[in-house]
Amino acid sequence: MAQPTAVLVRLEMSEPTPAEAAAGSDIVVCLRASCPAGPERIRMIAPDGSEVTHALGDSGGISSETGDIVLAVPPRVGTHVWRFVLPAQEIGGVRYAEAALEASVTAKPQTTSLAVWDIPSPVVTGAAFKIKVGAKSSADCELKGRGVEILRNGEVAARGALGDTPWPGTAALYWADLVLTAPPEAGMASWTARFEAGGLELPHDDASSSFSAAIVPPPDHTLTVKVVEKDSATPVEEALVRLGAYRAETGRSGLAEVRLPKGRYELSVWKAGYDIAPTTLDLDRDASIEVVALLLPEEDPDARWKM
Amino acid sequence: MGKATGDRVSRRNFLSKGAAAGALAAGASGGAAAQQNGQSNIRWDYTVDVVVIGAGVAGLPAAITARDNGASVIIVDENYDIGGRGMLSGGRVQVGGGHALQQKLGIKDTADQIFTDWVRYDHEESIFSDRDLIRVFADENVATYDWLIENGVEFIEKPIRSPDASTVDRIFVTKEWRIPSQVIAPRRNRNGSGLVRRMEESARKKGVQIFLKHKMTSIVREKHNAGRVLGITTMNGSNPVNIAARKGVIICTGGHTGNVNFRRIFDPRLTEEYQQACEPYVHQGADGELAAMDIGASLWSTANQTIQDGAAITKTRHIGCRWGYSSLVYEPDSPMFPQARATGLTVRDWQNMIFVNQYGQRFWDEGDGSHKFFAAAMAYNGDKQKLNGGGPIWAIFDADAVIREKWKPAPPHVDPDGWFFSADTIPELAGKIRNQHQKTPISGAVLQETVNRYNGFVTAGADTDFKKKTPQFKIEKPPFYAAWTTPILHDTLTGLRTDTDSRVIDIRGEVIPGLYCAGESQGGFAQHGLTRCIVFGRLAGRHAARLKVAEASGQR
Repeated sequence: MAQPTAVLVRLEMSEPTPAEAAAGSDIVVCLRASCPAGPERIRMIAPDGSEVTHALGDSGGISSETGDIVLAVPPRVGTHVWRFVLPAQEIGGVRYAEAALEASVTAKPQTTSLAVWDIPSPVVTGAAFKIKVGAKSSADCELKGRGVEILRNGEVAARGALGDTPWPGTAALYWADLVLTAPPEAGMASWTARFEAGGLELPHDDASSSFSAAIVPPPDHTLTVKVVEKDSATPVEEALVRLGAYRAETGRSGLAEVRLPKGRYELSVWKAGYDIAPTTLDLDRDASIEVVALLLPEEDPDARWKM
Repeated sequence: MGKATGDRVSRRNFLSKGAAAGALAAGASGGAAAQQNGQSNIRWDYTVDVVVIGAGVAGLPAAITARDNGASVIIVDENYDIGGRGMLSGGRVQVGGGHALQQKLGIKDTADQIFTDWVRYDHEESIFSDRDLIRVFADENVATYDWLIENGVEFIEKPIRSPDASTVDRIFVTKEWRIPSQVIAPRRNRNGSGLVRRMEESARKKGVQIFLKHKMTSIVREKHNAGRVLGITTMNGSNPVNIAARKGVIICTGGHTGNVNFRRIFDPRLTEEYQQACEPYVHQGADGELAAMDIGASLWSTANQTIQDGAAITKTRHIGCRWGYSSLVYEPDSPMFPQARATGLTVRDWQNMIFVNQYGQRFWDEGDGSHKFFAAAMAYNGDKQKLNGGGPIWAIFDADAVIREKWKPAPPHVDPDGWFFSADTIPELAGKIRNQHQKTPISGAVLQETVNRYNGFVTAGADTDFKKKTPQFKIEKPPFYAAWTTPILHDTLTGLRTDTDSRVIDIRGEVIPGLYCAGESQGGFAQHGLTRCIVFGRLAGRHAARLKVAEASGQR
């Protein structure tokens, strides 16, 4: 007597599997089999050859589906393949043919990235100054003790080791204080922070990030700026005083002092809620200037938002 | 709630329906309500003189005035509560002409001055005004003020200056509604609640029935594009409820701002990423306009919708949430908070951040709030899949900005489910920005380059790209943040064509008998705010109510 024809079963992913993923990351997939009531288990052969079985359940009468299956992407760069097999079997007198499906994922390195902060500006030519540099792994790997360095014109300008604990408020930004020396010539100077990621438990790409500071000649004079409110003539505190790269902030008396070399400057003062006109001044000695700030009307709750 | 099944609706059934919404309908005819209409095949569940669609700032005055003139009235509203956008407004009522409060405060004003102001050719908000409507509006101002007072509305006795076309102080703010739990956005100066709740109180007292959760689905006319308007169809949940109007149907549905397809009739740039102010409480879906246009109505004065001024599009002052309109905040005790999900972070100083587009690039001076800013935000930026609209705009800032602004960048202030992100570094932040309107992730390298360039401007003291006024603060200290700050849409400035009695005009210039429109769904007048809604709502209610039924049939 002839064997009954086996039922052909189609296996597919509920959602397309990503072609790429970071080494060491997890991917969640779900498989669907085109038989609502048939095989109840599916075999998964992982890239390392290990096997696990997953349950298939009815999903609305036309197919059966697994729950979430986690694919642990191996911690190695390269292409990895998971094989899913529904073995041939007979259930309740119905023969089911073997069905198989492969999921291929290319593992990429994890990334690293950098932040550089507390960069003073301006800095006087030749002066030493301190910055903070932090490095972060996209897998939140511990980076304490790892080296970071600062390059200028291709030469190492500073080097240090990341500290033991992440920067406050961050998940895993390991950081270090580094000391740099300003170049001898005035102007905008740039550096590059670099982190080499070799040797971490998971493969990572290296990271680099540039930053800059204004380098200025030593100051000659002191400019005293007083900011007062137009109508009340009261001092305006916490107003930001700028003359190009030079900056200061007014105190409670509305006064700010800026040390700077002689020259022509545009003086601008900023405080939210005030309108303050810029002014140009030539500085060749210590000087004082009063700046008038016009208080803008308080924002009406239903007014249009204009500045 | 029983649905009528036969040719007659019992009085008891009628009252049970009415009871769900409020007061007894004065003069509404239950027995005659369920009638078969030969031409439209509509089985009417209720019949009244006047049906008002929308219980907001235009609908409530329309209903009250119709009732004052002897009509039986039903208002339907799709929302679970009354008020529309008026509930969430600042309550600024621009009403003048020399009324009692102006006189008390020594403000000289006349109806002629209102007319002169609002037909000015040198102001964007008045240049395209329909001067016939403005004349009537001006003449009705004092009466409208008196009417508001008669109906219980209270004003703060201090005018507010406006940058609009007015040359006289005539914006007066209503007092906030006294019961916080009935103010949808309590404790945030939503004084408009005092306007709409007072009118609701008056309407119910006078016998206007308010059917909430009734969504108008069509306006029924005797014939397609011909004859008189007979009533409306609505859906109350899954139950159809049809209401006949012996004298008139008044459209007060509040405008089209939230309807992407409709708003793009006027400005193709306004694609789906631009949210609508006052969502999720009120959706401006163009329901009234569409239903009226289905039976032949015309739009009017459409140039008003694209004036480069006013509040049709606004900057988001409350960032990191989906609906961060400039002055509206849903606090955690608001009934809307579960849907709004965040209050947003209120920006005091635009110096504390940069704005980037969907590619992580700056595009304009962040301090600018003019229409040049909006044009830049909506500019084509290289997306070959999306030629219209500019895509999402994100505010990028750092830990120091959070300290300066005194923010707490966590729920309930921000919505981390697609509208706010944080990360330890700028490249990591770029990779985290995922939102339904952000079609592809921002490149970490591009965002870092953008931030580095801006930080260079801060160092140098000059923004050579977009001339931001002396950029003050670098974005450098971790952690870093990205907050939704895509411009948000507000005013509907055009809508259906009406005559000076608020009667809707069809595309051939003829009155559609029995159909009226007021509020933001009405075209011809681009004034921001509440007063045009109240004035033309009153005119519509009065005209409809004064019609004799026989006149309504042959109305011209």
